Amino acid sequence: MIRLTVNGTVHELEVPAYRTLLDCLRYDLGLTGSKEGCGVGVCGACTVLLDGKMISSCIALAGFADGRSVTTVEGLAQDERLHPVQQAFVDAGGFQCGICTPGQVVSAKALLDANPNPTEAEIKEWMVGNLCRCTGYYKIVESIRSAAQRSRA
Amino acid sequence: MAHRIVGQPVGKLEGIGKVSGQARYSGDVTLPGLVWGKALRSPLPHARIVRIDTSRARALPGVLAVLTAQDLPDILVGRRMFDMPMLARDRVRFVGEKVAVVAAVDPDTAEEALALIDVEYEDLSAVFDPVAAIKAGAPVLHENPAAYEGAPAERPHPNVQSVLRFKLGDVEAGFGQADRIFEHTFRTQLDHQGYLEPHAGVVAIDDDGRIQVWASNKMPFRLKELLSHALRRPPEQIRVNLTPIGGDFGGKGSLMDLPLAYHLARVTGRPVKMLMRYAEELMAGNPRHPSVITMRTGVTRDGRIIARRVKALFNSGAYAAFKPAPSVNLGGTAMGAGVYRIPNLLIEAFCVYSNNIPCGHARSPGEPQMVFAGESHMDMIARELGMDPADLRRKNLLRDGDHLANGHHLEHVRASDTLEAALKASHYAEPKPGPWIGRGMAMTHRHIGVGFTNARVRLETSGAVTLSIALPDTGTGAHLVLCQVVAEVLGVTLDEVEIEVANTDDFETDSGVGGSRVTHTGGRAAYHAAEKLKQQIESEASKHGIPAGALAEIARAAAKDGRTLEASHFYDAKAHADVTSFTAQVAEVAIDPATGQVTIRHFTTAHDVGTIINPIGHQGQIEGGLIQGLGFALMEEMKTEDGRISTLSLGDFKLPTIQDIPPLTTVILQDQVGPGPFNAKAIGEGSISAVAPAIANAVADACGVRILDLPITAEKVYFALREKVAR
Repeated sequence: MIRLTVNGTVHELEVPAYRTLLDCLRYDLGLTGSKEGCGVGVCGACTVLLDGKMISSCIALAGFADGRSVTTVEGLAQDERLHPVQQAFVDAGGFQCGICTPGQVVSAKALLDANPNPTEAEIKEWMVGNLCRCTGYYKIVESIRSAAQRSRA
Repeated sequence: MAHRIVGQPVGKLEGIGKVSGQARYSGDVTLPGLVWGKALRSPLPHARIVRIDTSRARALPGVLAVLTAQDLPDILVGRRMFDMPMLARDRVRFVGEKVAVVAAVDPDTAEEALALIDVEYEDLSAVFDPVAAIKAGAPVLHENPAAYEGAPAERPHPNVQSVLRFKLGDVEAGFGQADRIFEHTFRTQLDHQGYLEPHAGVVAIDDDGRIQVWASNKMPFRLKELLSHALRRPPEQIRVNLTPIGGDFGGKGSLMDLPLAYHLARVTGRPVKMLMRYAEELMAGNPRHPSVITMRTGVTRDGRIIARRVKALFNSGAYAAFKPAPSVNLGGTAMGAGVYRIPNLLIEAFCVYSNNIPCGHARSPGEPQMVFAGESHMDMIARELGMDPADLRRKNLLRDGDHLANGHHLEHVRASDTLEAALKASHYAEPKPGPWIGRGMAMTHRHIGVGFTNARVRLETSGAVTLSIALPDTGTGAHLVLCQVVAEVLGVTLDEVEIEVANTDDFETDSGVGGSRVTHTGGRAAYHAAEKLKQQIESEASKHGIPAGALAEIARAAAKDGRTLEASHFYDAKAHADVTSFTAQVAEVAIDPATGQVTIRHFTTAHDVGTIINPIGHQGQIEGGLIQGLGFALMEEMKTEDGRISTLSLGDFKLPTIQDIPPLTTVILQDQVGPGPFNAKAIGEGSISAVAPAIANAVADACGVRILDLPITAEKVYFALREKVAR
């Protein structure tokens, strides 16, 4: 039996020892926002926050999160209001197909939590673990800069 | 002409679902009783299957079914040429070919069951290189390819799938008039489309026998036809439900695991989900064809191209099944002529069977390969002639009234304007800032796609407008573009237009997404449907004496009479318009002589486009295609060792990251001559193909080293520099 706090809700569940956190979120809890891309911790589509820190949930076991707090993309919006990072991705074209986007916005939120005013170089350094094939990244950089500005305003 | 909504940089409608995790992709679909399918794949490139023993797998608790070819009808699948078994029957032809499939209660049990299937193989001799594959005595992959449904007739060797030829003038006579003749051979690598969503599909069979499909497939109606063919079920018994697609880039148009998911669903009586792992994508997806391309060009003393002969070998792998074009070849081969008027031309492209992963379509199929060869070749010729590469191009660019290699007639040709704009914006003619820095240019053009689309628009009694369409969202922002078109025509705000994504029951047909067609075909279908609705609204308004702008009131008045104001349009563009879109790009690179590392200091991309409907989406296509081209140029490669892919993860197969993007200047040359709504053209495939040769030409300019095979890695540049010093 493991106990996970996901987006503020406590879940107690029985999972096999080999269950990944990603599969647990997607299939045991029905939170399909986090995606499996590469499946080996490289592409970042499965990024979630574990006690506020980014991890690749496809290579973390669900048991590893026992007793800890997980934030997924579904937990970013507050009362139906998009998080500033999410709104900036919509307005600036920071996504296209959207499959990497849950991971991108979770990582970008973690960046702005850690560094509310990142330079372009800092954005690129932080976001290097989130692959995107569609956008060529320019508009992801722009989205994060704009989110930082909005958060400061 | 000024527009209200067309041309506005509005964010994406579908964005809220995508940034909040609510968008449901095929892999997210779940149904009561759903079980999981997984495929066992061949570890050998060419072998006879002696025996398959599934008894241990069947005995594993949680396993509901194990199928081999013996359990399936003997039907071959494909998109144009039907040469691929759903599961290998008697023989495997590439590493990764499916030999058995399992359904189990969860994915882990299914994986475990695969390990319990015993297959005995007997090795057959294999061939991997396309040049070797068409020599006399090469191992033959298919005994009688001509017998396959959809097989082209011409077959100079049993390992040739198809031959595609483009001819202008008399090439031999042309070479006879040439003062100088140049010949170079280029190679391009095996490359994956790199979408981050591996193929995903769910198949359920309803109680009444209807087959429901959710799939990451961009051509739902073609999928319905192909499934009908593969399953021998009438098409009306199949419904394809549209979901967002997690990236396509040409790769999401085939059946992939869907026929197997159907058979598992049939046998188990449960809905079946099959998700490919990324490692499976890299060993058995349908990647971009690697190529060997020889370009031979005859020029006059003053640099006029008088003749060109191009021979391309595309290493197509073990099956032709993934190629959708009637030619069973790559239409981009016509780009062997580049953006030039070449009076005497012969292009021949051979798609060749080998014991490798079967290849398919990838963003501008065949063009990145051809344009790399052709534009590198142009610079090599210019250097030999002692000409500036820009001047050689200027002398030979297409002009109004010219014909392309495929016979397509052109007007409004802006090749020269586009080149000059790129040269100016990149400061090409200015002195370079230091040693080991070089500049290179390359050009291409891309047609505006054709096809057919159905659209329906309806005025709701709330006054809102619903656009119904059965084109899936592959991420290009097309749904937003179509809503902008409808809003513009009807004079409503964008917020008042809602899109309703239909399924294959709702419309007769649609050619789907791809080939740079959707803004054109979908846009025109939506445009004309909205025009028809506008007329209905106006006549309804005058009938009731209501002002034409009071949409809710008009709709309610019609409803009171028992009518819905709704209009449909089927737009079918069969022939290409007389226009194309040119691209000119300039790379400025720096070489580290100690390591061979290539750094892109700056990149300039210039595009000749039509009316831009959404500038954010338009620029997003340019940027995305360009960085995909940069990956093709510098880092992406599915390496193979005896047919086995050795780069089986996204850690080893390197897609560009956010750290790899260069400073970028985009130049837009806008005209109002496109066949799309409001004179739009296409942009999705315009920026990818010239990137690699622009970089290769810049590398040559920077350090005198000519890389003839992609990708241009630091190792290749380093060793070429050493060799140059040794000489």
